[in-house]
Order: sequence, then structure tokens, then C-alpha cells
Amino acid sequence: MRGPSIRFDNVGLQLGGVDILSTVSFAVGSGEIHCLIGPNGGGKTSLVRCLLGQMPHSGTIDVGWDENRTIGYVPQLLDFDKTLPVTVNDFLAMVCQKRRPAFVGMSKATRATSDAVLDRVGLIGKGKTKLGSLSGGERQRVLFAQALIPAPALLVLDEPMTSMDEVGVERFASVIRELAADGVTILWIAHNLAQVREMAHSVSCIKRTLLFSGPPSEVLAELGAEALFSSLGMANFEAMST
Amino acid sequence: MTEFYAWMRESLQNLAYDGVLPLSFQYGFVINAVFCALLIGPVLGGVGTMVVVKRMAFFSQAIGNAAMTGVAIGVLLGESYTEPYVSMFSFCILFGLILNYTKGRTAISSDTLIGVFLSISLAVGASLLLFVSARVNTHILEAVLFGSVLTVSDTDINVLLVVTIAALGVGVPLFNRFLLASLNPSLARVRGVRVRVLEYVFVLLITILTVACLKIVGAVLVEALLLIPAAAARNVIRSMKGFVFLSMAISTISCIAGVVVPMQFDLPLPSGGAIIMVAAGFFLLTMIVRMTFSRLREVEA
Repeated sequence: MRGPSIRFDNVGLQLGGVDILSTVSFAVGSGEIHCLIGPNGGGKTSLVRCLLGQMPHSGTIDVGWDENRTIGYVPQLLDFDKTLPVTVNDFLAMVCQKRRPAFVGMSKATRATSDAVLDRVGLIGKGKTKLGSLSGGERQRVLFAQALIPAPALLVLDEPMTSMDEVGVERFASVIRELAADGVTILWIAHNLAQVREMAHSVSCIKRTLLFSGPPSEVLAELGAEALFSSLGMANFEAMST
Repeated sequence: MTEFYAWMRESLQNLAYDGVLPLSFQYGFVINAVFCALLIGPVLGGVGTMVVVKRMAFFSQAIGNAAMTGVAIGVLLGESYTEPYVSMFSFCILFGLILNYTKGRTAISSDTLIGVFLSISLAVGASLLLFVSARVNTHILEAVLFGSVLTVSDTDINVLLVVTIAALGVGVPLFNRFLLASLNPSLARVRGVRVRVLEYVFVLLITILTVACLKIVGAVLVEALLLIPAAAARNVIRSMKGFVFLSMAISTISCIAGVVVPMQFDLPLPSGGAIIMVAAGFFLLTMIVRMTFSRLREVEA
């Protein structure tokens, strides 16, 4: 399988008369892990929403699909009432089953697939646990798991590791590497620069516009303008520099 | 259908005379009301779980209040004051659609906006009802507000039957999408869910259900029947399956008990009030169960 290549060409976005994004142009190669970095409020999530067709934008976003056009999306968080009686299996049934309502349970096929992805993200045996009882990191792994059903050609990740512990991060990184090896294109909004340096094939820095784009090593040189990354923290900057 | 209802009433009345069923079943209107309760109980219990997840309890309250205005408009326009369905459905659907349209185009938070609409609908409905009360039997107005088993007709049963079938036809296949759209709209859109369209479909679903249930539960209390069984089930249940089915069971038992018990024991209670009191009993019971188990767990820990 080959994931799509993506070309952002002069992409702009205005909301309520305010420029959220302007003249953003860069390309993501097929099967590449491409990280979007930049300060909070810089427009990374908005750019991803433009790609997903959820925000009206100027300019063009060309996605060069191959046969598989499946997008896996991992949102930043799941904002819900933690006391709701929704288990991990209920959530996966809700997301993955179109007609069969979650309250009658999973079909055999969905059960097999969901068990496989829960195993992959290190949550096997957690299917009957209430979503609200999981830790923040475990919930993010559930969100990651749903993005793997069905097997995506393009995986879009919006800060997926914010609350993950070390085990979760390791598991997540290993699955990301496996997916990239399978040819899945990965567009990943990241804040951990050490991780970006270790895993990304290419990086783009967004602060309302594109500041720079290229391989992580080249981006590092540009990071002299560390003030731009005040929100990322000096620890991050130092981790990237070593 | 009228012949079927007549046959059903006669059969059940005979069973009541034979002592198989409670004596209150000797009255045709009680059988009508029980049949309605059997229709609305499971549907409101099931849809109530979605209302709770989507945090839309106050929306159905606003629709209930709007129905009062609908009744008054119907009476003013010369519609039958016992079955003013055309004006009730028309006004409430229009009201629900405008509310949802406004919600999507304003920065005001959803609960504030619904609160504003709820207050407006209550003010207009109460004023118009008082105005038309001179023209009709005031018991009709009580029935609209609090529900009454005495006024349930074959037309009411037919309306409920159609609405129930429509609610099942829409609510069951779209259940996952309704919930996913409320948990994370962005993820839902990526999954091919048309979030905005679904919002309107859900609003229509709640509106037609609310209006169809008015005769039994009443405009003031219909929101409670959507909310309390689901809230009671949530107290003691950990999965979606248990949540939906227990909510349906509590709602159905509450509806039937709320209709039959006042008749059986000659209690001067409106059906809506009785139904909600039974449902509230279940809520208290599940609260006690939940608190007891929490304490036991604490002791074990």
C-alpha cells in the first residue's frame, strides 16, 4: 500500500476577519512521517481541518490518492462526560459500525478487528472498561486505536501524546514506525521536538504562515529563533539541540 | 385500526371482568392509555439516553413549552381542541428548527440559548393558553400541561404509533452517528457523518416525540421522562447496552405504573405527574444502590 502525497499550495484561512493562516505552501511525500510544529494558536489544527475538508480555505490542497482513500484521524481529546456508561468497546463499536447500534454490541468482525487494534496500542483487556475510568493517556491510545480501523492510507494525528506515559509513548512510536514502513502517510501535529527529530522524515513549522519546512536536521538550524517556540519550552529546544 | 383497537379494548376489558387484569382495565380509556404507555415508554427511554449523552434535556423542555403555544394557536385557528396536532406539530417543528439554526450561528452557549427560547416559549404559551381558556373546557388545558389518560383517543394512539415507528426507523440506524457527532464532531466528520444534518434530524426526532407524548405525559413533564430514566440507568450501569435497555425498562414501567396505579387506587393524580413520580422513585433507588456500592468498595479498599 502507498499512502497519498499531499501538496498545500498557498493555503489561507480567515475566520471572523482574522487571518488564521496565510500563504502556507509545502509538500508531504507519500509514506512520509511529516510533523507540524509551532506555537499554540499558530494554526496547525486549522491547517489539518482544512486538509480534512472541515474548514473553508483559499489556495489548494492536493491529495494524490492511490487505491485506498481511508483517512485515520486522532483528535486532540475526547470532550465528554466522564460518568457516561460508555466502555472502550462501545466507543469502538460507535465509531466503526455504521448501522449496528453500539447498544446491541459489536459484530464478530468488528470484535476481532477492535481486539487486534487494542492489542496493537497496548490496551488489550481494557475493552470492557469505562472510557471515563481510563487515564488521559489511555484514552488517547483508544483514540489512536479507532484511527487504525479500517487500515488508513493517511493518518492525521493532532497532538496524540499529550497525556501519555512512557509506556504509551513507546507503544505509540512503535506503531507509527510500523505504519510508515507499510507506506502510510502520516501528518502529525507534535510538540515534543526530541520525538520529532527521532521519528519525522520532514517537518514544517507553522505560525499563521509557514516559517520553514524541510528535514528535521535543517529545521533544527532554523530553531535559533527560539523565541518563536516559547510555548514549546526550553527543555524541548534543548532536547532538539542534543 | 379503529376496529383493532375496539377488539383489543373488549378483550382486555373481559380479562379485567374475569379478574385476570386489574379492575381499572374495565375502562376503555385506561386501556388506550396503557397502550400509549407501552409505545412511549421504550422509545422515550431509548431516545433519552441519546438526549443525556448529547446534553439536550432542556431542548425537549423548550419543545414541551412550545407545544402549549401550538395548542393555543390550534384553538384560535379553529382546530379541534382535543387533537390540535396540525398546529402543535407545525409550530413545534418550526420552533425546533429555528432554535437549532440559531444555535449554529451564534457564539452564545447552547444552554443559554435554549434557556432563552424555553422562557420565550413558556411566556407565549402561557399567555395564549390563558387567552383561549375562555373558549374551551379548562380541563383540556390541564391535560396539555400535565397529561391525562381520560382524553386519549384512537387518533392519539395512531399518532403515537406512527411517531414510534418513525423514531425507531431513524433512531436505531443513526444511533452511533448521533453519539459520535456529540462526542467529537471533527472525528465524526472524518468518519463520514454529516454532523449538521444529523443535528437537524435529532431535533426533529425529539420534537415529534415530545409532541406525540403530550396527551399522556403533559407539556411540563415530558422532558423529565426523557431525562430521569436515562439518569437512573446511568447511576448503576457501566456499558451502553445496559444503559439503553435499563433506561427503556424504567421508562416503560414508569409509564404503565403512572397510568394504572392512580386509576386502580382512585388517586386524584394526573398521569404525567404519576409517571414522573414513579420514574423519580427509580432514580432515588439507583442513587441509593450506587452510593451503597461506592461505600462498600471504599471499605474493601
